[in-house]
Amino acid sequence: MVLTIKKAHRSFHNRFELLDAILLLILLVLAAMIVIPFISVIAISFATQKEALESPLLLIPMKPTIDNYYRLFQDPRILVGYKTTFLILLLGVPLNLFLTTSLAYSLTRTNFPGAKIIFYAILLTMLLNGGIVPMYLLMLQLGLINKIWSVIFVYGVNTFYFIVMRTYMTTLPESLIEFAKIDGAGEWYILYKIIIPLSKPIIATVFLFYSVDRWNEWFNGMIFLRRNDLIPLQLVLRNIVMDMSIVNSLSIAGPRVPRFTEGIQNATIIVTMVPVMCFFPFLQKYFVKGIMIGAVKA
Amino acid sequence: MAVSTGGIKKFDFKSYLANTGKNILKNREKYLLILPGLAWYIIFAYIPIFGLSLAFKKYIAKLGLFRSPFVGLYNFENVFADPAFMKSIITTLRINAGRLIFVFPFPIILALIFNEVRLGKSKKILQSIFTFPHFLSWVIVGSIMISILGQRGIVNSLLNLLFGTQPIGFLGTPSYFQPLVYLTDIWKSAGWSAIIYMAAISGIDVEQYQAAEIDGATRLQRIWYITLPGIKSTIIVLFILAVGNLMSGGFEQIFNLSNAATIKVAETLDMYIYRITFRGSVDFSFSAAVSLFRSTINLLLLLAADRIIKRVGGTGLLA
Repeated sequence: MVLTIKKAHRSFHNRFELLDAILLLILLVLAAMIVIPFISVIAISFATQKEALESPLLLIPMKPTIDNYYRLFQDPRILVGYKTTFLILLLGVPLNLFLTTSLAYSLTRTNFPGAKIIFYAILLTMLLNGGIVPMYLLMLQLGLINKIWSVIFVYGVNTFYFIVMRTYMTTLPESLIEFAKIDGAGEWYILYKIIIPLSKPIIATVFLFYSVDRWNEWFNGMIFLRRNDLIPLQLVLRNIVMDMSIVNSLSIAGPRVPRFTEGIQNATIIVTMVPVMCFFPFLQKYFVKGIMIGAVKA
Repeated sequence: MAVSTGGIKKFDFKSYLANTGKNILKNREKYLLILPGLAWYIIFAYIPIFGLSLAFKKYIAKLGLFRSPFVGLYNFENVFADPAFMKSIITTLRINAGRLIFVFPFPIILALIFNEVRLGKSKKILQSIFTFPHFLSWVIVGSIMISILGQRGIVNSLLNLLFGTQPIGFLGTPSYFQPLVYLTDIWKSAGWSAIIYMAAISGIDVEQYQAAEIDGATRLQRIWYITLPGIKSTIIVLFILAVGNLMSGGFEQIFNLSNAATIKVAETLDMYIYRITFRGSVDFSFSAAVSLFRSTINLLLLLAADRIIKRVGGTGLLA
């Protein structure tokens, strides 16, 4: 959609002006400022300590090694991190999708008693929230502290994703639902056999958004989970980077630590980031659509 | 439907009730469908909101969130007597007001450049590069920053090579903290935020550009008189949201970028709430009072921004 409009507008002027060169240069410099940090992190994670010290501007290691990764996976915390985060994804995302889809469909049309009030009460939570203190006390009272369920339940429905999904569902023809009802179909049947198959693009979008959110989970984990065998991956990264920075600042005065701390630190960044990188092409395919539906509503 | 037809004739309460009852019965499966989501909102959104009433109570663990005794404004007296609280408010406003000035315009400029620049397929690749960091957590972005901005990081190495400077402590110098917050904010989310503006630009009528072209308008004139007015309402809505965040935005970022050396200039209201609640001696009632204050200010800011925008002729955010 974006492209066709551009083309029509472009055909009027085809001269390559100075302005174009300047704009292109600006974009390339900005892009380099985003890409180079990633390349630097990747390079250090695959470098030996000797090479990293000798060439401070390292972007391509000459003698790549997986030594840092090998050492990283000897740290039991990283496996705990993967285990916890996968558990959060496996339990959390289906719950997110179930709650959001059923709520979005049942509130697509607010023509039954109480529906409008419920809808506005949901929207109101975008303006108001209790914050972390009452939430912590609630979890305490529910006995969920130090249990994976605290992190699962604290993030049930994202109101923004709910609106996006509901907006999409309002565009589906109502006659389909009416016909199904005449045939005697119940609401659950309609949701699972008609609405969900027709809403695949938006459900895919919301699925990806929830997955990334769950993958990036760390704050709730830090507050609600204080067990060494239940730490989200992001928090493991934080702990490792913070540990290493402390080791580094100490090592300036004292003797060198035998481990190549920066290498391990950068390797941790990479193993935490790689799944998002794998998901990203799919995210990109859907996000413009998702954000545009949301933007129209917002 | 029963509700709307009830008002036309003389209001008949009995038939209204009967109609509503019938309507509820007819839609009983819908209620069943709503139930799980609604239950989640009640337990995990509304109970915490009402839990903020703890601000007027003395928290006793045995009695829990709702049965602890009332103590009036006692907690607020303590809150306003804490110099660290007042300081955190000033820090928050300083950092977030700066965001409105330095960070907010950046995605708009980026979207305009993207719209003007003539590239084929490589435009998509560039766009992907700019949006990718949005999907990373602040833990990852913070770690990347520690890696590249450290004493031996690539930025210091580059500066040393070009200008022969000594390593600069970007992360540990209080006066660099605010610029660091803005730059990393732009680094992470400008590309993503630009998408919204680009979507808005693509909605502008092409004929306007063609007419302007025929009239001999320069490109800068077209940007100024067609593109910018075309995305004005989008800019306004996002500005309201940004103003609504003046008191709250950026906890995850600041938590992951600050350290012992910069905490003095980095303790925003949210950081303060975190510290008093989860570090050191804990007084949940005190924390709840601070949280209630924060939520109230946030809401007022959002409503005020919305009102102002409406007064100057915008559409506003709230109906």
